[in-house]
Parts: sequence; C-alpha cells; structure tokens
Amino acid sequence: MGYPIWDIAIGGGVLMAVVAVTHVIVAHFAVGGGLVIAVTETLALRRNDPELRQLAKRSSLMLILVSTVFGAVSGVGIWVVAGLVSPAAISALIHNYVWGWAIEWVFFFVEIVCAIVYYDTWGKISKRAHLLVGWLYFVAAYLSLVIINGIITFMLTPGKWLATHGFWDGFFNPTYFPSLLLRTGIAAIMASVFMVFPALKASPAFRGRILRYLGWWLTAGVLVSYGGYRWWEGVLPAEIKGLFLGASPALRQLATTRHFLLWALAATLILGVLLLLAVPRLARVVPAIVLMIAGFAFFAGFERVREGARKPFLIHDYIFSNGLLVSDIAAINDEGVLATAGWAAHDAGDSPVSRGRQVFRAECSSCHTLDGYQGIRRLLPKDPDMTMGVLAALSEMGDAYSELAPGQRVDMSNLDYPFMPPFVGSDEEMEELAQYLNSLAASSGTLAEKGAVR
Amino acid sequence: MNPGLIPALDVAPLPGPVWLFQVLLVLTFFLHLVFMNLTLGGTLLAAVSRLLSGGRDGDHRTILASRLMRVNSYGIALTITTGIAPLLFVQVLYQQYFYTATILLGWIWFAFLVMLVVGYYAAYVFKFRFDGAPDKSIAGTLWLFLSAVLFLLIAAVHVAVNLIHAQPGKWAAIEANPWSILGDPAYFPRLLHFVLAGVAFSGLVVAWWAARRAAGGREVELNGKLARYAWRWALWATVAQIVDGVALLMLLPKGVLLGLMRGGAATMVPLTVAVLLAIGLLMMLSRVTDPVRQRGTVTGTLAALALTIAVMAITRDQVRDLYLAAARARFELTTAPQWGTFALFAVLLIAGLATVAYLVKRVLSSPATGTEAA
Repeated sequence: MGYPIWDIAIGGGVLMAVVAVTHVIVAHFAVGGGLVIAVTETLALRRNDPELRQLAKRSSLMLILVSTVFGAVSGVGIWVVAGLVSPAAISALIHNYVWGWAIEWVFFFVEIVCAIVYYDTWGKISKRAHLLVGWLYFVAAYLSLVIINGIITFMLTPGKWLATHGFWDGFFNPTYFPSLLLRTGIAAIMASVFMVFPALKASPAFRGRILRYLGWWLTAGVLVSYGGYRWWEGVLPAEIKGLFLGASPALRQLATTRHFLLWALAATLILGVLLLLAVPRLARVVPAIVLMIAGFAFFAGFERVREGARKPFLIHDYIFSNGLLVSDIAAINDEGVLATAGWAAHDAGDSPVSRGRQVFRAECSSCHTLDGYQGIRRLLPKDPDMTMGVLAALSEMGDAYSELAPGQRVDMSNLDYPFMPPFVGSDEEMEELAQYLNSLAASSGTLAEKGAVR
Repeated sequence: MNPGLIPALDVAPLPGPVWLFQVLLVLTFFLHLVFMNLTLGGTLLAAVSRLLSGGRDGDHRTILASRLMRVNSYGIALTITTGIAPLLFVQVLYQQYFYTATILLGWIWFAFLVMLVVGYYAAYVFKFRFDGAPDKSIAGTLWLFLSAVLFLLIAAVHVAVNLIHAQPGKWAAIEANPWSILGDPAYFPRLLHFVLAGVAFSGLVVAWWAARRAAGGREVELNGKLARYAWRWALWATVAQIVDGVALLMLLPKGVLLGLMRGGAATMVPLTVAVLLAIGLLMMLSRVTDPVRQRGTVTGTLAALALTIAVMAITRDQVRDLYLAAARARFELTTAPQWGTFALFAVLLIAGLATVAYLVKRVLSSPATGTEAA
C-alpha cells in the first residue's frame, strides 16, 4: 500500500484483463500449436503427405508472427500492468517464485530460438533435423506451461504454502494438476481454431481432409478441457466454490460467467464438429472466425471465473487485491492507513474529504473507478447514513482475517462482503472515507468531480 | 527527499543472496544489450542507410539495410526474450524503486509495450513487403523509420525509468510532472550513450560479416564496399561515444562520482578497464582501412566492443547502487535462499544453452538434399 497509485479511468483490472486474456490466448496457441504442428509434420513425413506438410509450414509462419511477437510482448505486458496496478502483490509473488519464473524463462528462451530456427529452415535442412527442431520447440513450450501453471494456480489455492512458505508446497497446490490438464486441452483448442485459417488455403481437393484432421484435434481439446474444468471445479476449496457455485452465490456475475463458459465450450464443440468433421465444405473464413470466437469465449470465460474466484485476494489468504497483507491488518488498524500508504498521505491535504479521497485511492481504487468499471458512485448506499455501516461491516471482516493462525482460512460464507478486502485504518480514517464517499453521492458526477479522484 | 515516499520492503525475504541476483541481473542484462544494440542501433542504421541509397537495387547501403533487418526480424524476438530475465531480477532487487518509477510514468511506461508491438510488426512489414522487391519508393524506408523511431522512444522510456528509480529525491517532482525527467542533466547523454553503442555494435557486426563473405569469395566488391561503409559508422559512433561517455561521467551527481572513485578496486577496476577498452577500440577502429584484408583486427574489435559492453554493464549496476545508497541504507534486506530451486534453475539453464548449441550444430550439419529442398 506504500506505492504511488496509478489513476486509470477504465480501471486497472480492466486493463489487466485485456492484456492478460489476449496474452493467454496467444500463449496457449504457442503451446498447442507446437504439438499439433510437430505431430502434423511427423505424419507428413511418415505418410509422404505434402498437404499435411504445407499445413505445418503455413502454421509455423503464424506461430512466428503471433507468438514470438505478440505473445512475447503481451507476456512482458502482464508484468508491466501488474507492476502499475498491484505492485505490492506482484512483488510478493516474485519474491516467492523468482526461481520458478527464471526456470520458465529458460524454457521460453529455448522455445523462441526453436521457433525461429523452425520457421527459417523449411526446405533448407534435412526433414529429420527440421522435425527435431519442431519437437524441441513443443517440449520447451509445454515445459514453460508446466512451470507457469504452478505459479498461476498457487495464487488461487496456495495450499500448504500458507503454513510452510515452501516453494514446492505452493507450486504443487490442490488445483495444479486439474489446471494443467485443462490448459493442455485449451492449448489444443487454440491451436485448432488458429490453424483452420492456414488449412483453408489448402487446395480444394485436399481441404476437406485437412479440416477433418484439425476437427479431431479440436474435439480432443474440447473433451480434455471439459474434463479438466470439472476436475478443477471439484478440487476448489468449499469456501471458494460457495462464492459462485453455492445455492445462493455471492458473486452472481461469476455464476453467470460459469454458465457462459460451459455453453461457449459446447458451442465450440458443435461448431467444430459441424464445420470441420461433418460438413467441411461449409468452412469458410467467416464461419472459421465464429468458431475461433467461440473458443476464445470459453477460454476468456474460464480466466474470468478463475480471477473472480480469487476475489478478494491476489494470493489467497495472504495478500488482498489492493496490496494489503492479511498479516498487516491489525497493525494498520492501530497506526492508520495513511501512516502506511506514504504516497496517499503525501497527497492527502487537511480536509476530511481530501483525506478520505486518499484513503479511497489507497484501499479501493485498485478495483473501483469513480463512474466506470465497478464505479463506486452507483454502488454507494442511497442513504448516506448507511455508508458508515457498510464501512464498519468491512472493518469487522478484518478482525475475522487477522485472528487467523498461519495456514488457517476464513470461512468466507460468514462474511458480509466476502468478495471485498476489509476496511483497514483508524476510526477517524473510516469517518473521512465515509465523508468522501457521501460527497461523491451528493455530487452530480460531472467531469470536474471525476478529476477530483486524481 | 521525503523518506515516507519510499514504499516498504516486501515482507518476504529474498529467495537468494543479494550478490547472486546482482550477478544474474548484470549477466542477463549484458545478454539483452547484445541483442538490443542490434535492434536499436541496427534498425536506425538500416533506416538511415536505405534513405541515403534511395532504395536503389544493388547499392551497398540498400543491401546493408536488407541484411540488418533480416537479422533483426528474429533479433527483436531475442531482444525481448533476453530482456525478460533482467526485468525479473530488477524487480526482485529494486522493487520499491522500480515499481514506483514505473507508476509515476504510468501510461508513458505502458506505451512502450504498444510501441514495441508496432515497431516489431513494422520491421516485419519491411521484410515481407519491401525487402528484396524492386522498390525505389520511399514507403519501405518509411516503415523502417517507423520501426527505428519507436525503438528509440522505447529506449527513451527505459532511460527515464532508470533515472527515476535511482533518484527517490526527485519522485515528488516527477509525480507533479513526469516529463520533468527530461530536465535531468544525465538524461540525454545517457540516451545517446545507448544509441551510439547500438550503432557502433551494429556497424561492426555488419562489417565483420561482410568482410568474412568477401574473404570467402562471395560478392567480393560489394561486401568490401559494405564492410568499409559499416566500419565508418562504427568508427564515428565510437568517437562520439567517447565524448558522450566523458560528459556522462562528469554529469553524474557528485556523491555518485565520488563513490565510484572511492569504491576501491570493486568500482575502479571495471571503470578503468572500460575506459581503456574504449580507447583501445578507437585505436583499432582508426587503424583499419580495409576490413576485408584486416579481418583479424575486425574480429578483435568486435570482441573488444562486446567486452566493453559487459564491463559497462557492471559499472552501470554500481552507479545505480551509489545513486540509491542513502535510500537503501534505511532498509535491511533479509534473505532465505531457496538453494534447491536455484540449483534446478542453474542446471536447466545449462541444459537449455546446451540444447540451443546442439540445435545450431545439428541444423548447420544437416543441409537439405535433393527433393528435401522443396
């Protein structure tokens, strides 16, 4: 909480979602594409099948243009945006998993070198040597997924790490293997929906056969993804599942997204079977785009559910989305949040409303904008007297968290606002925040007022 | 300086000793610099050369642009890949300063990603649409310039972040006006330092390559001309670099400069070696009149430049620590090394490099035969 606060009108979470979702789509294509291309070239060599070889060759150009350019830059982009929006949280993650990321970097480096060599040596080196490069590419790409999957799943289900802080305890956490299976399936889906486009360039006499070939990959990817997703849901801790799967889910939006993603997966399968397996002649650019969008929708929906299920944490039970450590709650309640958040205090001024504005920036602005995404103005209670009541309830949640022994978890179903971090700070700061929030509700929402958050 | 503006240290201890992260930071940053020099300096050199040649077929400057960008279309990927590791290690060691600097720049920092994607694709547009095609229009050159200017702007953003993260005393002023970092006396000399290094390195690489080809009997006249042309770029960029380097040293804050001088062998050896290497470089560059005939000196000069960059990477790291000495004295870093996972990283790094070496060897020794070349 001691970092400067980046005021971003669209909301830091939205920017993060845009960068992260586009990155994971491309990154999973890079992994799945590696497998499908390597298998395709192997089959082409064994069967002496020039059409399959052409598919692998055309797809490798896509791999270079999409993965090594956009994939690499957007991957760096996740760090960049995380550092801007949630510096304390990304710092905590990197402090614990720097060696994991360093290992992933080694695999990524090998992956990129192999991708370049693979693309650049078609017809220039022996077919066997070329095939070897393709398989090395896939192995390196998949191993990078094996590593990054451990870090991503750790954030949602840190497991025994909460008590031991051991690298492998967090890495091989309860959702590690289900997620790996799910992401393997997703990688195959991403590869299939991307590779339909180079497949459409095959000569008409062979196009149907090539599309059917991709259709089997897509079907397998969907089935593996479905199994992985169900397994993943099955191993989620009860209090997380309860948030969006319970009889009365606290996060209805998330429950809706879950339905959406499963329907999107079904649509991917139906469209895939229809366009690629049953009636390949229907496959044209526009239907292929629809198929691709269905696949993307499933994947983006899953990422949204995964991120949403982690609410209100960035590392579950350890650090909240606004950079507040669970272990710091009691101390900040004693000292005041502005005593901890140096930059917010620096800009606080003397009036209660301006101090309240800085408390808002320090504690709330990582999720709430003023009028945009999660706009606070429309979420405020209609009765200004209730604002203090809400803040008091949020503060009480802090007690539930701070009384935990290391490794214990809060039963989130008992919390008033389980998807929000607790309010932390002194009673005076709570009053100042309430005054600021009430001043927002009373205002007309003019542009001048929007500027006031800055 | 308002010390309250420096965020608290992460509560998690460093998962390794500080020296280890520093070694890895400098080592991987050096690797990044090698490819970055080609990306930044090479694209600039390619754009200017193509402008001078007017895109005429057969002109050695057109061919220089073509060769550089063929390398760069992949080199940029390696610049990004090798940049990831130092970005990781700088976050571990300098989290409070680095994140603060990036947040103070906000969208300016984020914009480097957009510029990188556009600059990279612009390089590909040049490669696929204009390279090798008979084209005397300015369009190809404009794509090259777009790419070069964007890479230059990315360097400008990185120099800004580096100067800001090292100077907490300026943070309050930067918050009020992020562009005020341009007024830092070291800003433009530092940016120029990177640009000149990039141009010199790229010029030398091209000259070395062309000289080898000429010596091997391939397009002797063209390669000889190209080598001499690229050599002149390397020479004059190095002359300017020495002037800029001295200015940069003198413009360092007094405390930092004194810290370097009083740091004993640890700081003076790398600095002295770097200065001596720079002078040696200049002497070697000025002695070569025909790179094709003086190939030994050409190779030696390229190796000396690579070594200079490596040593300067050490000095740069020391300068950062001197900038931050007062601020960092307030914090005590704790460590809890994860030796097991570090060992795994080290083994995999060696295995990864061995795999790449094997790959290159296998590719070079497996030419396509007969119908395979289809």
